[in-house]
This record gives sequence, C-alpha cells and structure tokens, in this order.
Amino acid sequence: MIAGRGRQRIRPPRRGLHGDEIDFENTWSTIASAFREIHTKNASRLSYEELYRHAYKVVLKKKGEELYKRVCDFEHEWLSSEVRSAIQALFSPNLSAGTQSLGGTTANERRVAGEKFFKGLKQAWGDHQICMSMLADVLMYMDRVYCHDHRRPSIYTAAMVLFRDDILHAPTSDVDGKEVLRLLNHVILDQIQMERDGDVIDKHLIKSCVHMLDSLYQDEDEAEDQRLYNTSFEAAYLETSREFYRQEADFLLRDSDAGAYCRHTRRRLYEEEERCRSTLLDVTQPKIQQVVEDELIKNRIHELVEMESGVRFMIDNDRLDELNLIYDLNSRVDDKKAELMRAIQKRIVELGTDINNAAIAASQAPVSAPMPLEAGDKVKAQMPEKSLNQQTVAAIRWVEDVLQLKDKFDKIWEVSFQQDQPLQTALTRSFADFINSPAFPRSSEYISLFIDENMKKGIKGKTEMEVDAVLEKAIILLRYVQDKDLFERYYKKHLCRRLLMNKSISNDVEKAMISKMKIELGNNFTLKLESMFKDMTISEELTSGFKKHVEGLGDKDPKRIELAINVLTSMTWPLETMGSGDDAEGSRPRCIYPTAIERIKRGFEKYYNEKHSGRQLTWLGNMGSADIKAVFPKVPQKDGSFKERRHDLNVSTYGMVILLLFNDLPADQHLTFEEIQAQTNIPKTDLIRNLQSLAVAPKTRILIKDPMSKDVKSTDRFFFNEGFIGRFVKIKVGVVSSGNKVESDRERRETEKKNDDSRGFCIEAAVVRIMKQRKELSHQALIIETLNQLVGQFKPEVNMIKKKIESLIEREYLERVEGVKIDSYRYLA
Amino acid sequence: MATINLTEFVTLESSDGFEFKVLRSAACLAGTIKKALDPSYGFREESEGRIKLATINGVTLEKVCEYLYYHQKHAEAKDVPDMEIPPELCLELLIAADYLDI
Repeated sequence: MIAGRGRQRIRPPRRGLHGDEIDFENTWSTIASAFREIHTKNASRLSYEELYRHAYKVVLKKKGEELYKRVCDFEHEWLSSEVRSAIQALFSPNLSAGTQSLGGTTANERRVAGEKFFKGLKQAWGDHQICMSMLADVLMYMDRVYCHDHRRPSIYTAAMVLFRDDILHAPTSDVDGKEVLRLLNHVILDQIQMERDGDVIDKHLIKSCVHMLDSLYQDEDEAEDQRLYNTSFEAAYLETSREFYRQEADFLLRDSDAGAYCRHTRRRLYEEEERCRSTLLDVTQPKIQQVVEDELIKNRIHELVEMESGVRFMIDNDRLDELNLIYDLNSRVDDKKAELMRAIQKRIVELGTDINNAAIAASQAPVSAPMPLEAGDKVKAQMPEKSLNQQTVAAIRWVEDVLQLKDKFDKIWEVSFQQDQPLQTALTRSFADFINSPAFPRSSEYISLFIDENMKKGIKGKTEMEVDAVLEKAIILLRYVQDKDLFERYYKKHLCRRLLMNKSISNDVEKAMISKMKIELGNNFTLKLESMFKDMTISEELTSGFKKHVEGLGDKDPKRIELAINVLTSMTWPLETMGSGDDAEGSRPRCIYPTAIERIKRGFEKYYNEKHSGRQLTWLGNMGSADIKAVFPKVPQKDGSFKERRHDLNVSTYGMVILLLFNDLPADQHLTFEEIQAQTNIPKTDLIRNLQSLAVAPKTRILIKDPMSKDVKSTDRFFFNEGFIGRFVKIKVGVVSSGNKVESDRERRETEKKNDDSRGFCIEAAVVRIMKQRKELSHQALIIETLNQLVGQFKPEVNMIKKKIESLIEREYLERVEGVKIDSYRYLA
Repeated sequence: MATINLTEFVTLESSDGFEFKVLRSAACLAGTIKKALDPSYGFREESEGRIKLATINGVTLEKVCEYLYYHQKHAEAKDVPDMEIPPELCLELLIAADYLDI
C-alpha cells in the first residue's frame, strides 16, 4: 500500500545502528551490574530504556547467544551463592524430624520451624519471580528475536529451571544429602498431618509453596503433567494419605460403631475437599477423594456393612440417618451399591424367613382347644377369635407381619435411600424371594385367607379409605407372588364360600377387590371370578322368578316352602373343594329329600328347564341352608316355666333333611345313625358333621344322642330333644368346619395336584398357541417362549413343559423335525 | 496539558530532543514503553513518567505517536481508513516499531 505512492524514493534510515560497533564486554558489565541492582531491589535508579537499548543492540549484533549464556550464568551464580545460603539458613533439625521420631520435638516446634521455612522459601521464590520478570522485560528483545529464532526457552523459563535446580534440588546439608524439594514435601505433609490431627496450620503459606511447585516443571518440556507439584508432591501426598486412612479405618472399625464410622468418613471427605481448596490445588481433589473413598469406603464397605452395629443393626433399630449415610458412602464408590443391596436383601430374606417360620410354627403348634362349633350369633360375637383356628390366625398374622416388614423397608427406602431405583428393585426381589421360597409354599393361600378374613369381618365399620388401604395391601403382596394361578384357586374357593353363605360384608368391596386384581393381573385372571358374581345375580333373578311362577300357579299352600336357589356354572365354581373331598362329581350319592322338599325341587327343575333347555341341574345339598320354624312342646323347665317354645332354626340343608325325619317320629322313638343314613342317603362324612352340630354342640342340641359323647359312631341313637332351651328365637346351627381356614395337609396336596393339572392344560395351550404361530421351532426357543407366556400366571417347571410337549407329540399336535442338529418341533395342523 | 499527572499522560522524548506528551493508555500499546512504565518494577522511567528514546528521531516519533492514537481510536471500528505514511519514513518507522515492540 505504501508502494502505490512511490513518487518519492524510499531512503535508507539516516542513522542506523548498524555502523556502531559496540563493545560486548562493556555492555555486558553494564547490564550485569544493573541486574545486580535489580536483585537487590534498587531498580528505581536504572533506566529501562537504556538497559533495553543495550540488550537490543547486543542482539542486533548477533551476540544473542552469548548474552543468553551470560544471563544464565549470572543467575546461576546468584541463586547458588546468595539465595541458597539464605534458604539453608532456615534449616533446623526440627524440620526434618519425622512425625514418628520420638526425639523430643513437639508438633508445635515442628510447626513453627516449618512455617519459618515456608516463609523463607516463599520469599525467595517471590523475589526470584519478580526479578526474573523484570529481567525478562529488559531482555524482551532477546526473547523475541534470539530465543524465538533459535528455539530456546525464554529467559524467564530458563531462570525458573535454574531456580529448581539450584535451590529445590540443592542438598539441604552436606551430611544427609536430602534435597530441599523433598524436605519441602516432607514439611508440607507433616503440617497436613497436624491439621488432620486437629491442629491449626497456616494454610495460606502452604498454598503459596504449593503454587511454586505447581509453576515449576519436572523437565524442560513443560508438559502439563510434568509439574513438580504433580510429579513430586502429589504422589507423596496421596501415598501418605492412603497410609493414614488405611490405619484410621483399621482403628475406627475396631473401636467405634458403624454409624460413627460413617459420620467420620463423611467428615474426612469433606475435610479433604476443603483442604484441596484452601491448602493445596483443586486438581488434587478428585484424586484424594478417590484415595479416601478407596481406603475408608471401598475396601471397608464389606466390613462396615457386616459390623455388629452395621446395616443389620440399623435396620432393626430404624436408624434411618445412618442408613442414609451408608447409602451415601456406598453410592460414592459403587453405582450399584452392591454391598448395601446385598446386606439389605439378606436382612429382608432373614426377617421374611423368620416370619415364614413363625407362621409354620404357629400353624403346627398343637391346637390347644378343640374348635368350638359355630353356635349362635351371640357366642360367635363373644369369641370371634375362636371361630378361626390357630392356623388361620397364623396365616393372617403372617400377612400382617409381611406387610409390616414391607412398610418398614418402604420407609427406609424412601427416607434413607433417596428412592433409589435399583435398590427398590432389589427390595422387591427379596420380598418375592422369601414369599415364594420353596420352604414356605403357603403364601398364596395365606394372602387369600387374609382377604377372606377382611371381607368377612375386618372391614366392618371402616371407612371407604381404610378398606381401600387394606385391599391395596393385599394387592401389594399379591404382586410378589409367583404362582398366581394357585392364588386364583384359593381365592375362588374362599370367594365361593363367602358368596354362597352370605358371609361377605359388602358386595361393593368384593367387586372393588376384583377390579383391583384386574388392573394388577389382567382380565384373564378375574374372568372366572367375575362370572361367579354374575351367577349370583342371575340366581337372584331366578329365585324371584320362580317365586312368582309358583304364586302364579295359584297353589295357596300355607305350608309352602320358599326356595332360594343359586345356580352355579360348574366350570367357574370350585365346587369340589366345598364338599367332602372324596366324592368325585359323578359318584356323588343323591340325597333323598323329604317329599315336601322333593316336590318343590321338581317344580324348580321344571321351571328352569322351561327357561334353559338342555341344562342339567345337580343339587348340592351339602352347601345349602334352611330356615325351619320348630315348635317344641310344653315340657317342664328347670326354671319352672311351662310353655310352648318356638324357634327359627337356621340349619344346613342336610340338617334340615335330618330334622324333618324326626317330624314324623313319635316323641319317644329314636333313629340310629344307620337308619338316618339309609333314609337320607347323605354322605357319611357330611352326616357325621351335621349330627355333631345338631346333637353334640352344647348350644344347639336339638337332638339327643345316646350314648353321649363327642364322636358320632354308626351305632349311635338319636332322639328329638323336647326339652331344648334356647335363649333366642333365632338359632343358627353351624356346621363344623364351615369357615374358610387353612387347609389340612391332605387338602393341600389335593389342591396342589389340581393346580398341577390345570397348569398342565395351561402349558399345553401355550405350547400349541406358540407352535401354531411359528410352525417350526427349536426345543430351547419353545421352552423359553412358553416360560415367557406363562410368567404372569405361574412359573412352570421345565420338566413339566417337556412332558407336555411329549404328550402333544403323542397326540399328533406336534412332530419332531428329522435330520436337524438342534431338537426342533413342527406344528401339525 | 498536565504533564505532572503521571497516571494520565507520559512524555516520550526523541533522540533530537522533541518531547511528546501522550496518553498513557495509548503509549502502552508499545511493549517497550509499557514495560518501562510498569509500576511493579519501579524503573526510573516509571517514577519520572518520561521515556527517552535515544534511537528514534523526532519526525519518526511523531509518526509513531500518531499511530498510537490512530490505533486507539480505531481499535474497535471496522472500516478503518488507511493512515497516511510518507514513503521516506517507512524504513525508519519499521525499525522504530521493532524497537518499541508495537
């Protein structure tokens, strides 16, 4: 741009510097003496421009190299004579005394000596830095031209290197040959140790020394990780810290409890963080944190968790804060919190197993008192507990205990574990583990019993909210249960009893429960339960329809018997579990009803067949009940009254049939057991039970048995008890063991067998569904898919699946694929 | 104006005795001047607020000062007009710039 205006010739500088020969030695001596002034802080007498000009000229004369060398020599000289001696004057025996040495140096003496040393060093370093930057400025032109062109480190850097070599690497004394640098490290570490032990130290002073180390490098390259701080001090620091914390952890684990240990660890972590900020450098923070975490947490967490006062103790004593500490510490070193999780899971399973064992023990304890019969509402109200046998109590107790445990851990999880997701999964898994533990196969039954109990009594007088909470609890437990099909079976059985015997307090609650299960377990699960409710509704309609129908016939029989009937779909109701277990459906002997009853029965069958043709009704006398108006003749009473008494007796259907036999009998006649059986054809077990409740139970002794004993034998004779006294008009004659309770072992084997059978069908159905879709599948894949399909209902055994596949092959649903390496099957349409 | 006010103005003196009073902030664009005036070092120039530049003559120094102000004025602007530089001064200016580390 300048060339464009080139009318005038560019003239050489009128008075260059080239011509002036300068005397290097003279110039240098000027510069050197000026430097000495600078070092002794007399710079104000010097002219910067003059010095600069000298250096400038020297460099222009290509004497840069020599100047550079001279300056280095000069500095070397200065440092090793003046500064080093000043530093060495600060050494004292107290300084190098180790923390372990017993030689009479107190921490305080060491600290004072250390601080003096720091101060001297800091002073020397500060002076050197200032002087060197002045020098570097004076020699700016040399840096710019000579150092740049010849790839030499700037004079400032070179001087820093000199400081490192001449001061820090100088031996502290001629005797032990320790370097100043190592001494410095030692003293810093010593002081930090004092602080850890609770002393107050001059953090600022140490920090400036640390800064010095940070700005010096191990070698000439000045690579980032080659700072003296990193290479020399930090390593030593981490090493001593590691040792210190290792010992401290030993000590703490031995001498204090887990909670204190956690608090201490937390404090140490915080202290180290603070130390890095105030005394050392921030870059060390993650490293020292790592050390502390390693030594105090990672290597110790196992011992910590297992301590006598460890996690187990904390859980048992609800030490939520301490658990939170442990959680916090563990999550620092381990994302998965494996140790804590393990301990928690172990404790849950332990506690759960305790509950299981308690339930088993309770259920096996000898029944202290024989079950009283359900005799009269009043009696039942007085001793509600007695109507449940011990096993049932154990079952309900079990459920409540489990729920309590669950509440406890939920709280811990919420408060102490910051609602940590993986931990929740672990908790769930542990609960599922002990609930489904093979040593305790009754969880499904117990949960169902719990619901049953609540439906019958527990929810009486509770608000909607409370009831909902109870149901929700049951659902929570249900969630853990693996064998949902078993639960369904029990639930059906219990529900069946509740419905047929009108034991359920509220239909709405029952329905709420069903819909909750529907949400939780899916439509399939509740299908049959819902259809049970539907049957009940239809039956009500049928009953009223039949009543109208009978009235419509105009048969004004005053002795007419009212019939309420429940028509149950045999597939959906677990009827076999209701009656005595030995009777298979087909061979059930027909009960012979009295003629009056028989007539009305016929009438209903006819009515029903008109409505639904082609359906077969099977009468289940063992499940019904009847209200009878009974008149007891005038008999002299103990209290002297002499009158006729009327009672409404509520008895089972069989009870009614038996009692009606005595209607036609003269008062002093009797019937033997065998006669009754022959005339009624009631199955023997049912008959015994009914006779027991009619003749043995003290409050409802409508019949008199001879001889009087608790057991009913086939040779016993029965009379009508004319002198029967009841305090109430309405009397309920309960039948022994009509409530829902825990099954006996025999019943349970049976239930399981039935369950296994129905599982078999489920598996077959699943296999066929899969194969129909896939056409061909390897054995392994088929097993896996089957397991996946059924996981919502139960966990099938692989053996069972294999058997079912075999059976399907036999029945030619499937065939093996020939000539392939892996076992495979093909679907046969 | 106020040459006494060290913090605001400094004096640059040429080899042939011309004096230029320059805003300190502008003068400090030149590395050499800046360092000579650095208060933490305390060289003589700093206490006197005057720098004698023995290698630069008055004409050149005037141009240098012009440039210092020119630079300060246009430091932030974009379309900067060229500064007028007489060709005969080019070489001397280059040397001065090198010396002053501009």
